[in-house]
Amino acid sequence: MHNRTIQIQLGVGALLASGFLLLVAIPNWVSSPSNVSNIILSPLFWPNTLAGLMGIVGLGLLLTSIRSPKPQEVAPSDVEDRVAAYSRLAGMAVIMALTMFALPRLGMVWTSMLAFAAVAFLIRTSHPVAALISAVVMPLVLYIFFAHVAGVAIPQGVFVRLP
Amino acid sequence: MSFIDSLLAGLSLVGNLESFLALGIGVAIGVIGGAIPGLSATMAVALTLPFTFTMQPITGILLLLGVYKGGIFGGSIPAILIKTPGTPASSATVLDGYPLAERGQAGKALGMALWSSCTADVISNLSLILFAGWLASFALNFGPPEFFTLILFSLTIIAGVSGESLLRGALSAMLGLLLATIGLDLVYGTNRFTFGDPNMMGGLNFIAVLIGLFAIPEILAMVWNPRSHDGTTRILGKNWVTFSEYRKSFKSIVRGSFIGVFLGSIPGIGAAPSAFLSYSEARRTSANKENFGKGEIEGVAAAEAGNNGVAGATLIPLLALGVPGDVITAIIIGAFMIHGLQPGPMMFVLNVDIIYGLFIGLIVSSVFLFLLGSVAIRGFKYVADIPRGVLFPAVLILCVYGVFAVNNNIFDVGVMFAMGWVGFLMLRYRIPAAPFLIAFILGPLLEDNFRQAMLMSGSSPAILFRGPITWFFWAVTAITVVAIVHTGIKATRKGLDQHKENEE
Repeated sequence: MHNRTIQIQLGVGALLASGFLLLVAIPNWVSSPSNVSNIILSPLFWPNTLAGLMGIVGLGLLLTSIRSPKPQEVAPSDVEDRVAAYSRLAGMAVIMALTMFALPRLGMVWTSMLAFAAVAFLIRTSHPVAALISAVVMPLVLYIFFAHVAGVAIPQGVFVRLP
Repeated sequence: MSFIDSLLAGLSLVGNLESFLALGIGVAIGVIGGAIPGLSATMAVALTLPFTFTMQPITGILLLLGVYKGGIFGGSIPAILIKTPGTPASSATVLDGYPLAERGQAGKALGMALWSSCTADVISNLSLILFAGWLASFALNFGPPEFFTLILFSLTIIAGVSGESLLRGALSAMLGLLLATIGLDLVYGTNRFTFGDPNMMGGLNFIAVLIGLFAIPEILAMVWNPRSHDGTTRILGKNWVTFSEYRKSFKSIVRGSFIGVFLGSIPGIGAAPSAFLSYSEARRTSANKENFGKGEIEGVAAAEAGNNGVAGATLIPLLALGVPGDVITAIIIGAFMIHGLQPGPMMFVLNVDIIYGLFIGLIVSSVFLFLLGSVAIRGFKYVADIPRGVLFPAVLILCVYGVFAVNNNIFDVGVMFAMGWVGFLMLRYRIPAAPFLIAFILGPLLEDNFRQAMLMSGSSPAILFRGPITWFFWAVTAITVVAIVHTGIKATRKGLDQHKENEE
């Protein structure tokens, strides 16, 4: 992406975020006691100030983007196949969501093994055997360290429990 | 407590096998982490942090400092051998290191990188020992208005110099400050963006945010472009650096070390600008200036001295003022907090044994760096050969275990994943992550000191200008903003002129 495009997108994003914070988020999700007489000491003051400053930064980004030169050529892509790259990212998002879902149910060790293998498969590892061995061994080693050395209660899940 | 008493108290704390082992292992992890392109010293420190929870505070912090020191040097190995800086601070090392490697003199370049790194490390550590105590005793006079202006200055400079533009840095810092408002209000205890979820009431977990921001985006970047870190490793060659070459470059090494110390002690500047400034000063004053950029050994020495000179100095504001000097020290502050320690002037009064223990450990770390660095140079081939398709999934699993271990809470793992996507977006939009993290850490302090100052003065803002210390911080903040805006305007004008020339 060209610098100008980035500045415009960031500027618009910052302005929208500022507006959302000032009009929706802060009035609804920040509470203040009714007896606070001084606005500066209110719990609302700091979030409102930051949201206002974010709006100013957004305006600044838009103004600087207007001053910067228009790009003449399309920015070169950092990947050969953008569709494949976005698909991989979507795949990674699914892996993360499934990990969150599986952690309390399958337990951390089994979930980690599956997540390891899935990520290795997603980035098409050139060493599938090493990846599979690591997918099994690494979560077990980490389980031994955290559960038995550090005394962390690693989630065990409801199916297979480890000693 | 006298200096000797403090020193002995520190020695009694670190004078054991456990501490030295932690330091040695830390340096080894750092060198390996820094040497693997795609990982970095920052990620290595972040991933090591969860393993320190069960250690004694001093042992855990020494381990992390070892990783920090090792990581900064480790970054120079791939910079020289495969033209890929392991850490951003090693970018200047590429300029002369890689041309030397192309000529079959990689061993010489790496040897010089190690010697100059160790020299700069010693100078930086001694500066820390000399200045931190003095600054801390001065900072004991600070009240809430002084701390407010100091933190404001730190955030301004971090936002201004971390990325390509002040505005993007400011946006990053705003986001960090806003994220820090999540939780119960500091004074009234009312909810702020908690959505009634008890997990949010204490605010977002710092470790989850930092690992999410610095480790997960690298994994996502790998998923985006799995071939991004491929490179051809150059051979070391038979030439090794000689003492006479070291002596010839000594002036540049010492100058670079002091540049590193000066820039490192200003919160937020970090190692990369220091390395480039040291390099350009060496080129300006060298008799072989035309050889710079083509494989000049003095260039490697200056760049490495510049970036390693920062490593001890960034701890000056951290230990003396409680303000992290860069991202890695921001992570290290997390280790202090987890162990119930609050860096800052009071630490020099309440935990002087830990302070002196750290000083002793840091001096010893330079020796470990020299020994382990020599081994790492020869062993880089094996490190470079670790398949990325195995390494990055392993990093993901380490992150999951490490973040969960902080509070035994799966919610934190979710926060880490969410912050990972935020970090990845920031990476794509070239928004620096450092202001975000440092603002997230300093946000509650900034707000707390502001509100305390307002309570002290009956809400009169005049208290924020009450004396020479606050005037000084307001002045340097204004100078910083003016300087950065001026540089930005100049760069935009230059870009417009160039654009017009291209059109003609």
